[in-house]
Amino acid sequence: MSSVPSLPRCLCLALPLWLLPLGGAAAPASADLNQAWGALADNRLAEAQRVLGAAPSTRPAQLAWAVAEMTRPPVTEAHRRAAERVFQELARGDDEVGAQAEYLRARLHQLHDVPADETGAAGLYRALAARRPHSHWAQLGLVKLALLELYRRPDPADAAADRLAPAEAALAQIEEPALRRDLHLQIGQAGVALQQPLGRLLPHLVAADRLGGLTSAAREDLIVQIGVLSLRAGQLDQAQAYFARYLQDYPANTRAYTVTQLQEQIRRRRAQESAP
Amino acid sequence: MNLAPLRSGALLLLAGYAVATYWVFTRSTPLVATRPVVIRLAHWQIERGPPEGIAAVIQRYEELHPRVKVEQELIPDRIYRQWLRSNLAGDNGPDIMEWGSWVEGHKDLPARYFTPLTAELAQPNPYNRGTSQEHLPWEKTFHDGLTCPKRDSPDPGQIYAVTITETTMRLFCNAQLLREVTGSEAVPRTYDDLRRIFALTKRYAALTGRPLAALAGSRDNGRAIAETMFSGPLLGLNQRLDDDGNLYLYNRKLLGAYLAGRWNYRDPHVKAGLALVREVAQAMKPGFLQLRRDDAMLEFFRGEALFLYYGTWDATTLRQMVPFEIRTLRLPAVTADDPIAGRWIAGPLGEGQGETTLSLYVNRATPHREEVIDFLRFLTSVPGNQRFTDHSLWLPAINGVQVPEVIRGFRDYQVGHAFGQATYDALGSSVSLVWDRNFHHLAGDQGSVDKFAEVLDQAMPAAIRADLQDEVRNTLLLVRPQDAAILGHASLGDDSPAGQRHRLRQQEMEASQTISEGQLGQARRALDFAKERP
Repeated sequence: MSSVPSLPRCLCLALPLWLLPLGGAAAPASADLNQAWGALADNRLAEAQRVLGAAPSTRPAQLAWAVAEMTRPPVTEAHRRAAERVFQELARGDDEVGAQAEYLRARLHQLHDVPADETGAAGLYRALAARRPHSHWAQLGLVKLALLELYRRPDPADAAADRLAPAEAALAQIEEPALRRDLHLQIGQAGVALQQPLGRLLPHLVAADRLGGLTSAAREDLIVQIGVLSLRAGQLDQAQAYFARYLQDYPANTRAYTVTQLQEQIRRRRAQESAP
Repeated sequence: MNLAPLRSGALLLLAGYAVATYWVFTRSTPLVATRPVVIRLAHWQIERGPPEGIAAVIQRYEELHPRVKVEQELIPDRIYRQWLRSNLAGDNGPDIMEWGSWVEGHKDLPARYFTPLTAELAQPNPYNRGTSQEHLPWEKTFHDGLTCPKRDSPDPGQIYAVTITETTMRLFCNAQLLREVTGSEAVPRTYDDLRRIFALTKRYAALTGRPLAALAGSRDNGRAIAETMFSGPLLGLNQRLDDDGNLYLYNRKLLGAYLAGRWNYRDPHVKAGLALVREVAQAMKPGFLQLRRDDAMLEFFRGEALFLYYGTWDATTLRQMVPFEIRTLRLPAVTADDPIAGRWIAGPLGEGQGETTLSLYVNRATPHREEVIDFLRFLTSVPGNQRFTDHSLWLPAINGVQVPEVIRGFRDYQVGHAFGQATYDALGSSVSLVWDRNFHHLAGDQGSVDKFAEVLDQAMPAAIRADLQDEVRNTLLLVRPQDAAILGHASLGDDSPAGQRHRLRQQEMEASQTISEGQLGQARRALDFAKERP
């Protein structure tokens, strides 16, 4: 019934054996790459490079090799330069690996250069966002760029510049909810550090909380922070709601007593306000 | 020639050899390890209690897991810092190790050598099956939700450790000596009562010629009581400096605030705290800063000190070793009606409300990550932690564990505010060093609060800048390698359950890395600001 021409029986039997070397050659390459990414995920950098070998041939493998090279101890200028050469070459490609490589180039300038080359990094983040605006790495780069702008040294010629504005503008370009959350949070925190009005920074903190997904101390700090700053801003309902949530989620925390006292403070203020 | 003695000797030798052979092969450790996985756990709690408690847990765990052997390494605290760093640097670190952010000069260790446990802590602990904690995420089974590891994490979105016990500070009192000195069995109820006992002890020692101090003294015990006393008047200042509204001041914030000129050691709150520190220092024997906790313990054992102020971690040792009746008290808090420091007290100070401790961290380089985490799950499960508690007589860290009668009183906490990561004497290694080096300006008959505060404000700016630079360095150490891990998780992410876990981990790491970089930006800004100040 089959339209496939029948093969001689001996060839049919031999085929699987004949294909084995091909399958055998391809599978370990992919498995090796996954093993290397696994090692990188666990920060076993030397192991990742050992698995990849000295001269990996595919673009993802070259990327993985350079990622390990950029961080592996001992940290030297030679390692940094070798990693950047690979990133630069890979960034020419118009694929996911290209976007990752361009992002990592910016990270090299921002975090690995001594002193940090923040201008160079900012330029690379901008270029990546312009070329591949919807790539995750471009979007993440926009968050990092916003951070650089929030905390850059004040330009004496422009001391009164609105530091939050560029970061707020970047929000419009960020599509991924988790990255929007991270940027909202950073704008809020920078707003506190830069002594911006509570009315401007609190909505960013609340937006970060509503987007959800923060863990550990970051979550705990944010809940109590919104409560306290709302109280300072006179937003008693919001303060009360966050304090109640804090006590529900962290009843045994050392801050619980102070939060209870602040709830009492709100109750007193409300009683005073409603008194004739 | 008579061969009988020779023959008897040979027979005796042969019998001895046979017995030894039988013993070696049936009773002692086999020549070849039969358990393929060996986990090393190192800690410095060599006092009575924890070694026995952990050993009991290990014994049960090894019964359940014949493949795994857990070795407990007891390293005295005097050498722990050097021991740990050199072993980690030499790729010979233990798989599990105790660490605390207060260990001087060790702030970089988590970022360099430890691995986060956040993802595992979000899942239930399988060893809690059939207990009250069965369906809860592992993190929620800890009495305090792991406050200490969260606070000490170099990475705000991650948890790097689990805790196994709960401790607090207590004033251990020699009841017999108290009767001798004060003529009464009444224990101090207020700090002013304690102050009076300090004065009575001095007088009694002078009258009798006995070497006697009110408080057993050493650098460790001195710092412990000084920090407790210091905290009271600092509360109001901490509240004033809490721009973030976190109800908590991380060290980096306090260091930045000092460089911005927002507080100094001559601030009235700080000086009130220093006055209290001077009072307790004067209640110890001269030169106590040169001594360690064991010396203070011996002074107390010999009946040369009325009180010993230290953690409940020493309670088991004291209970087993002292020949006199001990009463365990809370250190009376300095309250707003105190005649000396009362006006600077902004509210009651809490004792931590049951913060759990003895934090155990996992070596990032361990070849047995799965087994290590499994052992930690057992150690911090209801049955495992019950075993630890019963054998150590230390409080448990896990909800649902029964607390033995003799230690129930340790959970009688003073409820109140708890506001800072550290007091102003211990904001970083350099600050701590400057404090110790100049402490003689405060203590002793020639010392004074004004002199000490003035000397500190001359020496501290450089120390505080160095400690903030350390914070910057440590944050960089943390965030730099995270890019490799993020790329690794991103590349392994797909729609399979394992791939989804990688995606989630990628997202969590990106979030916490960005938070760390925000903190880095703030710390650098504070350092820049200080550079611009005259």
